Amino acid sequence: MSDKTEVNDIDRSLHEEKNVEKHRYQSAKGLTPAVIKEISREKDEPDWMLKFRLKALEIYKNKEVPTWGADISDLDMDNIITYVRPDADLQSDWDQVPEEIKDTFDALGIPEAEKESLAGVGAQYDSEVVYHNLKEEMVEQGVVYMDMENAVKQHEDLVKQHFMKLITPNDHKFSALHGAVWSGGSFVYVPAGVDVNIPLQSYFRQNAPGSGQFEHTLIILEEGANAHFIEGCSAPKYSVNNLHAGAVELFINKGAKLRYSTIENWSRNMYNLNTKRALVEEDGVIEWVSGSFGSKVSMLYPMSILKGARARAEFTGVTFAAEGQYLDTGAQVIHDAPNTTSTVNSRSIAKDGGHAYYRGLLKATKNAPGAKASVSCESLMLDNESKSDTLPIMKLQTDDIDIGHEAKVGRISEEAVFYLMSRGISEEEAKAMIVRGFVEPIASELPLEYAVELNNLINLELEGTIG
Amino acid sequence: MYNKKLVDNLTTGQSKLLSSRRRESFDLFQDLAQGDYKRINLVDYQFPEYSPYNKEYLKEKKSQNELLIKKMTDNLNNEDEILNYLDQFKDKKVEKGNQGLDPKYLSMAEAFYNTGLFIKAPENVDLKLPVEIFYQLDQENPVLIDNNLIVAEENSSLTIVFDYRMQDQNLEAFHNGLTRVIVKDNAVLNIVKVQRFNNQSDNFDSNISLVSNQGELNWIPIELGSRNSVTNNENTLMNDGSRASISSVYFADGDRKLDLGFKMNHQGRHSSSEIESKGVLKDRAQKVFRGDLYFQKGASQANGSEKEEVLLLDKTVNSDSIPALFYEEDNVEGEHAVSAGQIDEQRLFYLMSRGLTKAEAKQLMVEAAFNPIFDKIPLNDLKGSVINDIKTRIRS
Repeated sequence: MSDKTEVNDIDRSLHEEKNVEKHRYQSAKGLTPAVIKEISREKDEPDWMLKFRLKALEIYKNKEVPTWGADISDLDMDNIITYVRPDADLQSDWDQVPEEIKDTFDALGIPEAEKESLAGVGAQYDSEVVYHNLKEEMVEQGVVYMDMENAVKQHEDLVKQHFMKLITPNDHKFSALHGAVWSGGSFVYVPAGVDVNIPLQSYFRQNAPGSGQFEHTLIILEEGANAHFIEGCSAPKYSVNNLHAGAVELFINKGAKLRYSTIENWSRNMYNLNTKRALVEEDGVIEWVSGSFGSKVSMLYPMSILKGARARAEFTGVTFAAEGQYLDTGAQVIHDAPNTTSTVNSRSIAKDGGHAYYRGLLKATKNAPGAKASVSCESLMLDNESKSDTLPIMKLQTDDIDIGHEAKVGRISEEAVFYLMSRGISEEEAKAMIVRGFVEPIASELPLEYAVELNNLINLELEGTIG
Repeated sequence: MYNKKLVDNLTTGQSKLLSSRRRESFDLFQDLAQGDYKRINLVDYQFPEYSPYNKEYLKEKKSQNELLIKKMTDNLNNEDEILNYLDQFKDKKVEKGNQGLDPKYLSMAEAFYNTGLFIKAPENVDLKLPVEIFYQLDQENPVLIDNNLIVAEENSSLTIVFDYRMQDQNLEAFHNGLTRVIVKDNAVLNIVKVQRFNNQSDNFDSNISLVSNQGELNWIPIELGSRNSVTNNENTLMNDGSRASISSVYFADGDRKLDLGFKMNHQGRHSSSEIESKGVLKDRAQKVFRGDLYFQKGASQANGSEKEEVLLLDKTVNSDSIPALFYEEDNVEGEHAVSAGQIDEQRLFYLMSRGLTKAEAKQLMVEAAFNPIFDKIPLNDLKGSVINDIKTRIRS
């Protein structure tokens, strides 16, 4: 028997602190038009949004639960309280945020991070954004960064023009659900030519038991604009199954560039069924950096639609599936214009019976002569209890393309360990080095602003159990 | 049409146990809905009317005296033996997906086969000359449903060539076949399958194998014909050191559609597999490549690889690739690689600068890609005619 390197789980106690529940309003369990109307009335929304919600609810009722991928039969939709409003009004001054909510965020390191480098913090506590701030110079340049609820009212035309146009309620059951009950999320608008040189960060967190979170993120970058958006998730652990069905819509106009970084670190009872899409125009760039660590079940496949000539997509992702986790993730790229390029680089690790599944799509349509794409998936299995699968689908509808794909699954190479040991490194350290090296290309892409949480995730504690 | 009456007809004169196998398959067939192959738009396919196949299809050779060769449709006296072999396939079903093609097609072949051979290489027999099987479709014999069972007993070695073909370019023919293969300890079996039906015909073919300790099975499927061709090749590497390889070549032009499925199911320790697929798509041709490597728990130190190369010659082609790796065991090595694209312009230019026309240069490059696999065809006539076939079609 060969020795195995023990990679410890991340210490989650920090993220799984939960506060005593305190709510002003809690919607009745289950989904009915009455519930939707109440949500809309509470939010004081324009009429078109209410109509949109009701239409989405109709679609939701008629859509089947997908049969492929994860088993989500444990998910009881009727028991998910769709909307929980925390006991705090929207704040723009940190001092006014209620103490106990602040405690949770403090534990996650948000205010410190803001002082350091963040342009604004849109912190989502349960479903409503409780804290929002954007540095003044950004406001002067016309940058808008606010919670989605207010954006619907204050930037109605922009929102109406883009909201759920990229991800429609017809796409799948959970996008329909999102359309009906969405709540919270961020709205970012960057005018032409503006370079937001400090990352925008928003923190999503779920607290109330049995609450689903359906935040909507809408980012519009005008011609030549440049921005970096950071999204992070951490939820306390509860016995009731939790559902996250958010939507992220990114519009990247001519020559604009967006980096969208995510660390998904939901607690181990969460069903994370999120939908993310980016539409990239001529010479535009989307860069996804994605880390999936938490949740019980994840099904997450960010899609880049390269619609303009020479548009580019890059996806860098790492998935870590430990005990009891089924993480089904991957990148989707649609090349729909000439000379578009894409690079997908995915690494996954499975341990302690975790199941990591890479499921990706690469499509080149007839409109994409000169497209270039490369997909690389590597998986590491740390023990024999775990499972690791790779399914990258490629669909090519034209000839003038250059596509390369590689995938590899394996465990820590004994030869490499032996080589390092011959150089005087202990076996334990050698194995640790190999695991670190495996994640390195991805880790270096992750935003440093995540100081506390990120360190916990990336600095995998490597300890040998040799002997 | 494919009803109980037909089964009764087919079982008349057939041995008892095999007849009851037919009936079991028919019961299954009856209850199943038609399977779809949506990626090539093959939905609600209607099986054409049944017709018997009366041509001779085995080329007898002297050396074959060492082999046991029987027609599955005959009244056999060794049917216990055959049933025994067939039973070994039960319980070997892979956790994910079907065994062979869609169950409707598979049970159809098992219930209504009109041809098929049982070929057994006894222990320690090393047959140098290949067994040649010619399934030729024509006006009188437009439907071929073959059910073959090939067994290579311990320490034997054998090569079998299946040549599926037709002369008539206007005939609408149909083939749905099933070939089951058992490779015992230390045996080596090579199977070449060449399919050259016209572009009015449909081809369905399931190939299912079990490979034992240190056994070796090499498939060389060469797909050149048919309007719709759906094939599946599934191998279970059961024991220590079981080996299997698939070296596939396809050429699809016009409006041809291909759906190729290759599976390697690793169960045994140190088992190894290799899937290599090379193909050319031209005109409006469509192709789906499905390559699955499963490493079941216990298959420690197994290794598997799959490689796909596809050359796209026109804007209007459609190429889907679905390579999958499934791991339940950590102490294994598996990888896959896919490359797709046009012919390398620089190489083309170089050849043209040496005086070749563009068509000749293209043809040469395709040949160069295919030749390592064509070299595995043991019959020179067949190899020559396959190469010629591709030559003319590339230029047109």
